[in-house]
Amino acid sequence: MLRKVCIVGGATTPFDYGPTGFESIEGGAAECVRETQRDIPEFSLRDIDLMIYSHFSVHFGHQLAAEWIIHDHLGLVGIPHYRVENGGNTGGSALYAAALAVMSGHHDVVGVVGWETMDSVSQSQGSEFIAMASDIRYELIVGGIYPIYYAAMANKWMKDNNVTEEDVASISAKNRNNAMDNPKAQWYRNEHKYITVEDVMNSRLISYPIKKYDCCLMSRGVAFVLVCSEEYAKKVNPDGYVTIDGMGLSSCTIRAGDRLNFPGWTERYGSGYPEMTEFGACRNAADQAYKMADIKNPLNEIDFGEIHDAFSTSEAQIYKALYLADENNIAQFLRDKTTHMYGEIPMNPGGGLMGYGHPVGATGLMSAIECFYQLSGMIPQKHLSKKTEVSDPECGIVNSHAGTGTSISNFIIRRV
Amino acid sequence: MNETVVLKRKDRIVKKPDFTEKKSYRPVNVKETGLSFIGHEISEDGNVMNQFFHYDQLYTIRHGWNSKFFKGLLEGKIWGTRCPKCGDTWVPVRTHCWNLDCNLEKTEWVEMPLNGKVHTWTVAGWSGRSSLKRLPIILVYAVIGKSKVAIANELHGIKPWDVEFEMSLKVVFKPEEDRIGAVTDFHFEPADGWEPSPIHQEKERIKELVEPVYKWVKTLK
Ligand SMILES: [Zn+2]
Repeated sequence: MLRKVCIVGGATTPFDYGPTGFESIEGGAAECVRETQRDIPEFSLRDIDLMIYSHFSVHFGHQLAAEWIIHDHLGLVGIPHYRVENGGNTGGSALYAAALAVMSGHHDVVGVVGWETMDSVSQSQGSEFIAMASDIRYELIVGGIYPIYYAAMANKWMKDNNVTEEDVASISAKNRNNAMDNPKAQWYRNEHKYITVEDVMNSRLISYPIKKYDCCLMSRGVAFVLVCSEEYAKKVNPDGYVTIDGMGLSSCTIRAGDRLNFPGWTERYGSGYPEMTEFGACRNAADQAYKMADIKNPLNEIDFGEIHDAFSTSEAQIYKALYLADENNIAQFLRDKTTHMYGEIPMNPGGGLMGYGHPVGATGLMSAIECFYQLSGMIPQKHLSKKTEVSDPECGIVNSHAGTGTSISNFIIRRV
Repeated sequence: MNETVVLKRKDRIVKKPDFTEKKSYRPVNVKETGLSFIGHEISEDGNVMNQFFHYDQLYTIRHGWNSKFFKGLLEGKIWGTRCPKCGDTWVPVRTHCWNLDCNLEKTEWVEMPLNGKVHTWTVAGWSGRSSLKRLPIILVYAVIGKSKVAIANELHGIKPWDVEFEMSLKVVFKPEEDRIGAVTDFHFEPADGWEPSPIHQEKERIKELVEPVYKWVKTLK
């Protein structure tokens, strides 16, 4: 019998580019743990029996096995530790690993620390490092940066689904404006302004149809999540813990062009899927998570989500992959602002990657933490107001996403 | 005693490649300096210090079984691979079949025709540092010949707003002396006889988006 997996606490440093106030990664990790202890005073570092570290690129870190520095600093010598790396889905994959450890019964209290220090190199060098997760022999050398691949996929997707530039621009504005209520968000700490669809439409071309404000931010940041058994959750946070009721992790090709006819997909979803436009791994991971959490109608049963808006276009593609809409109604779904704060299923109330930031190894954990705050009623103390609090949520979805949709995880998290 | 035996056997079964054709196109300013601290800065209040650490490494990409594809580029050819069991064909190449039922069957090399079709496309107004001066760049994912997959590359010889899904393309190689054995040795161009469709709303929008890019590129030194 598999054990129930819970989240009892977590926190991030402010996300930023350049000085943040937490300029050493080990100092940032310590501050995240301290904030978690302030939220749940019963939690002691002595309770931890496994640490999982979530970090994408040693190119950014200029230090191999930097997790060893953090682990020592937290005073956890003797406690087992290892690092998980899975591109943009590093955070989601680390959470998956932590959940498996608890579910199996082998571990009770698992700490997950994620980080990235993307400001340790120049912005253009940083873009190139990220793009090294594309196939350097075939793609890096011609495309150079990720937005180009995403734009090519989105261009066709938008045509096929009658979605316009304005439709996706509304997502860009939504997430940045949500971030204006979140003091740890990079958008709040830097640009610090409310924007409109018009502003997005007028921002500079990155790669058609993607413009500057359709893209996420490059960030420095650290996050910590505490994953545990229900027995421990009842001990340290009996009124506020949440449960991971469903989870799924799936994979797709590294080169987007290879998924037109991939036999593995044809077997699962019929020929012509995921094409170059759909996130097949997201759908597959959703199928697994929904089945495990017994979700039949995601739009009705899920109250909100924290999902991987690396680009506004990808957030729209994710809605479809999660079965929130289909090719017949996705455009209307966007125009109805279904995922805005006042809509049926608010998405990224925390600001998402476009508003909160995207320090890769910390990102998926940030999404899980925001989801936890919503479900445990902590938004009024973590955000600046109740504007970005989902009203009385019972069920949230967390989505983490890598490559051009190459690895994707989904988690269904519920209030107890 | 045992050592000699092992060495002799190795000599007999592993043929070491003899690299006789060598070419270097390294820019003069690229150097491997190894690891070094090369400077620092301290804030006015003395509270924060940044240190500059530099390393720059030369990597060898050993193409191994994929070599024929990259060597083919030097010769102005596009090599694909095909599974002898199921017949699937690929560019980019696969040295083993992707069909699980073919049990990683080793593939055979096939020379691909120098034509293709646009699967999807984008117009880049931003890119990596080395490509900025060439903006805007049209990138297409195109299917070459009967390939089961699409390959990414640039499309030249067309205005950014005139690209269309499914348009026919030809593969055009750089002059032989400029080739380096990378996919950038070729690009796509519209197939002979192709004519752009009349201007419409989306074309106007793309024009509006790329005009500032043209202007900005002119200001680059
Ligand atoms: Zn085969």
